[in-house]
Amino acid sequence: TKALKAKGQQLKGTQQLRKRKIRTTPRFKRPETYRPPRAPKYARRSLPRRNALDAFKIMQYPLTTESSMKKIEEQNTLVFIVDKRASKPLIKDAVKKLYDIQASKVNTLIRPDGLKKAYVKLSAEHDALDVANKIGII
Amino acid sequence: HVAMVNKRESAKKLRAKTKSELEKQLTDLKQELSTLRVAKVTGGAASKLAQIRLVRKSIARVHTVTHQQQKEHLRRFHKNAKQLPKDLRAKKTRALRRALTPREAGATSAKQQRKARAFPMRRFAVKA
Repeated sequence: TKALKAKGQQLKGTQQLRKRKIRTTPRFKRPETYRPPRAPKYARRSLPRRNALDAFKIMQYPLTTESSMKKIEEQNTLVFIVDKRASKPLIKDAVKKLYDIQASKVNTLIRPDGLKKAYVKLSAEHDALDVANKIGII
Repeated sequence: HVAMVNKRESAKKLRAKTKSELEKQLTDLKQELSTLRVAKVTGGAASKLAQIRLVRKSIARVHTVTHQQQKEHLRRFHKNAKQLPKDLRAKKTRALRRALTPREAGATSAKQQRKARAFPMRRFAVKA
């Protein structure tokens, strides 16, 4: 019978001889599988979207109201109407790009008419009055 | 009534330019637009205010030409690709894109073909 058993086992193959795995916890976690990185066969968009919110779009125009004039003279800040979707860091970069000035701080608010106002405080090395003259506000 | 000042770039002239030239033109135009917007706020001359529309449309023209050129280049680039990017494929309609191809629609089974061959539509003529 040993010979018969061996013959039988040979016919069935060795797959069934695998031992049961010993589980030491009652929990079962799905084993991790291989996840290959993406390798698309074709680009979904032929061109990436161009950045619609560039510096020119962000900074719309400066404000020339009495209170903004006051800010220029007394507090070294310029006041702009900016795009509503612009964030403070974006405004800082835009001002750097367009007017070549370093902003020390940007405060924003959304006016009741839906436009965003940005108070751009310039760093001490810049004079808001000079910059305003250069831009053409005065 | 012809437009005020510079009616400079027509689309024809823009198409002759290279990509970098167009980029530069774009930034120049945008720069001009921002100065015009400042002029609007500080009470500029009427000529300046009228310029705004011209400049805006010029910017649009540059964008259009740039985009058309890019698309054309991409189509050439992907000319022999098996699968095109989706925005380069025919748009048609959603339903048409999912419809059977003409080949698939006209496919017949062997049985059908045998029948058609054995029993074609006969045409008879009455002798006058």
